[in-house]
Amino acid sequence: MSGYTGKILMVNLNDNRIQTISTQQYNEQFTGGRGIAVKLLFELTPKNVDALSPENVLVFMSGPLTGSLAPSSGRIDVVSKSPETKLLGGANAGGFFGPELKYAGYDGIVVTGKASSPVYIDIFDDEAELKDAQHLWGKGVFDTVKSLRKGDEDTQVACIGPAGEKLVNLSGIAFSMRNYAARCGLGAIMGSKNLKAIAVRGTKGLNIAKPDQLKDIAEKMREHIKKMPSYQEYPEWHYKLFRILESDSKSFFGNYEDAAWKERFETYESAERFVKRAEFRSETCFGCPLRCWAYINVKGIGGAGIAACQGTLTSLVNFTKVRDFEKIWKAYLMCQDLGLDASGTSAIIAYAMDLYSRGILSKIDADSLNLAYGNAEAVISIIQKIALREGLGDIIANGVKEASEKIGKDAKERAVFAKGGLELWLMEIRPFKGVALSCAVTDSGSHNRATYGLCEFYYKSMRKQAETAAKNLVGTEEAAIPTKYENKPKLVAMYENMHILADSLGVCSIPFMPVGLELWSEAYNACTGIEVTPAHLMMVAERIRALERLFDIREGLTRKDDTLSERMFREPLKDGPWKGEFLDKQKFEKMKDEYYMLRGWDLDGIPKHETLKKLGLE
Amino acid sequence: MEKMIVLDYDKCIGCRTCETVCSLIHEGRINPVEARINIAKYEQVGVNIPTLCQKCEDPACMAACPMKAINFDPSLGTQIDYAKCIGCKMCIMACPIGGVSLNPINKKVIMCDLCQGDPQCVKSCPEQALEYIDVSTFSLKKRREGVKKLAKFLEVVRT
Repeated sequence: MSGYTGKILMVNLNDNRIQTISTQQYNEQFTGGRGIAVKLLFELTPKNVDALSPENVLVFMSGPLTGSLAPSSGRIDVVSKSPETKLLGGANAGGFFGPELKYAGYDGIVVTGKASSPVYIDIFDDEAELKDAQHLWGKGVFDTVKSLRKGDEDTQVACIGPAGEKLVNLSGIAFSMRNYAARCGLGAIMGSKNLKAIAVRGTKGLNIAKPDQLKDIAEKMREHIKKMPSYQEYPEWHYKLFRILESDSKSFFGNYEDAAWKERFETYESAERFVKRAEFRSETCFGCPLRCWAYINVKGIGGAGIAACQGTLTSLVNFTKVRDFEKIWKAYLMCQDLGLDASGTSAIIAYAMDLYSRGILSKIDADSLNLAYGNAEAVISIIQKIALREGLGDIIANGVKEASEKIGKDAKERAVFAKGGLELWLMEIRPFKGVALSCAVTDSGSHNRATYGLCEFYYKSMRKQAETAAKNLVGTEEAAIPTKYENKPKLVAMYENMHILADSLGVCSIPFMPVGLELWSEAYNACTGIEVTPAHLMMVAERIRALERLFDIREGLTRKDDTLSERMFREPLKDGPWKGEFLDKQKFEKMKDEYYMLRGWDLDGIPKHETLKKLGLE
Repeated sequence: MEKMIVLDYDKCIGCRTCETVCSLIHEGRINPVEARINIAKYEQVGVNIPTLCQKCEDPACMAACPMKAINFDPSLGTQIDYAKCIGCKMCIMACPIGGVSLNPINKKVIMCDLCQGDPQCVKSCPEQALEYIDVSTFSLKKRREGVKKLAKFLEVVRT
């Protein structure tokens, strides 16, 4: 095969059996990455599988463009049943792991069972074996990666930190020392299987069907990416993102109770001073011109890669209101090393701080920590406690929803989460009806896996562009207005399809839409030799989406679960640019009706027989 | 040698596009270990260092080759003559900068051939961290850059 390696590595930790299966039986229907991953998850798990049991499977799946010359092709999709939402748990990571896995000769890895003691999977081309990892258990991500590389920096490592070992729902899977499949508690899945890491080195390479054609298309695609409005700005996003969120009117502070934090502007200035003072070098993922990563090093604290994204520095600052950036940097490094999703972790800390400020959590409950907003020392202590499940950390380690149930009634009212209990990605969602809808209807509750870059996002700062995008996609400029409920289902479904295709082809969703489906189809053809049209790919996206839905339904999802926490419907914003906005339940349900209809699902949200027939999923 | 590929370590973002395009052009498939250019990545300190044959004026590889299989082309520098090469790897051992390597797939020794004067890695580098420029222009440019740094320094001293 070209573009694909043709093989998927199957690892059964129960009996140390390692074999391979052919990719060819799946690629025509499901393309790759996210698509094949959900197919395998569906096929290989029993109904109502306990997420943390040996029967659950963990799928790492690259796409046909991963590791090719097509730009931004470093992605790998990770899918399992989530221990946090008890639904499909999916996350997508960049970096260099996916390409290296393909050069070793594998499109993906499927892990099932549970090892009797900690192990890691060591892959060098055709040699794949399980090795003892007892010496690594308890170690942080940075040390684990360093140890498994054995001096060869081209060895790529997927691993968990102590948080994953302790089955913390807020744990992710680290890809070497930077990228994360952060959300949905996938780190805990590895922990439950006694799987500390996967180390991979590949020297076999990847066959390409039409090399000359791929070279020309890739060049064209890079040009498109360089024309993106954000391209020039990316290296500065590490501090500018605070102001970008502000100008898009997406910011909130604390536990969604404060849209106009008085000290925010001073904080943005500290962010700029912090980044400019630090040792700073632009970085990127495999084959990507965007440079949304950087290496930042602060003397006396430490250095690491960081993405200029809502889930890292901005998340830690806006949720906790800590203004001391050196402490925030330390908190970020701790999350990276302990194996925590910095985004979900910041959300749960803000939640605990909110409860503390209201007396719902007492000082005794808080292990004598002063959990006041802005207290950097408390943030640092609580991160450690969450990862190691100590004291209060243990109570909140499984996320906002479970914590709210443990703490009780008053605590429940303050909880904010998306479908299934997943913490929201950093942005106020009450005014953004499309984003809110996607938090309720997506595969995993994660809107950044469905509607990242939705035209609502930038309506306030780049109105013309947002309106043009809306007009092109659904025929009316009005669809770009965040607070309108009309036309949002269609927008959400279209963006979601784009995300599914990016995640399935193995490329990044950020440049996916700007480059355009036409060129991605051409790149797919040049890599694999298989002819596809954009229309065909959109059909594949529908098929993948339907199968994701069937999995969630099999695991007990019903229409009423397609929602967010009550507070988003009950509590209007009390200040800021969207004062008074909340989610109207009736209009929200109407959006769901329309979304289901567009997907070919019935009013209970179940794919209709004719839809499944059309998609070949009977 | 009139032109050379100049590497700017400060500009390299470590995307490895140069490696992929190089292997695709020379070997028809994508495989960084088969590329004539390599990015040495040091993740823990955030450093990316491109390495490739620098087309030395007095090439150690050429001197070490027992088969006289390395020719010196006036505009393209050292080039391997595969009709003569016996794969002894002496050139790899002799090169002081790691510019020659072994293709682990076909066991052939590989070094940059400047794509016959149109190096594709340079063309595809999104950051212009690689430039194919006149040797004399290069040294002059470096001087100018040095002066700029000095000017910055003087500014600091004055204020």
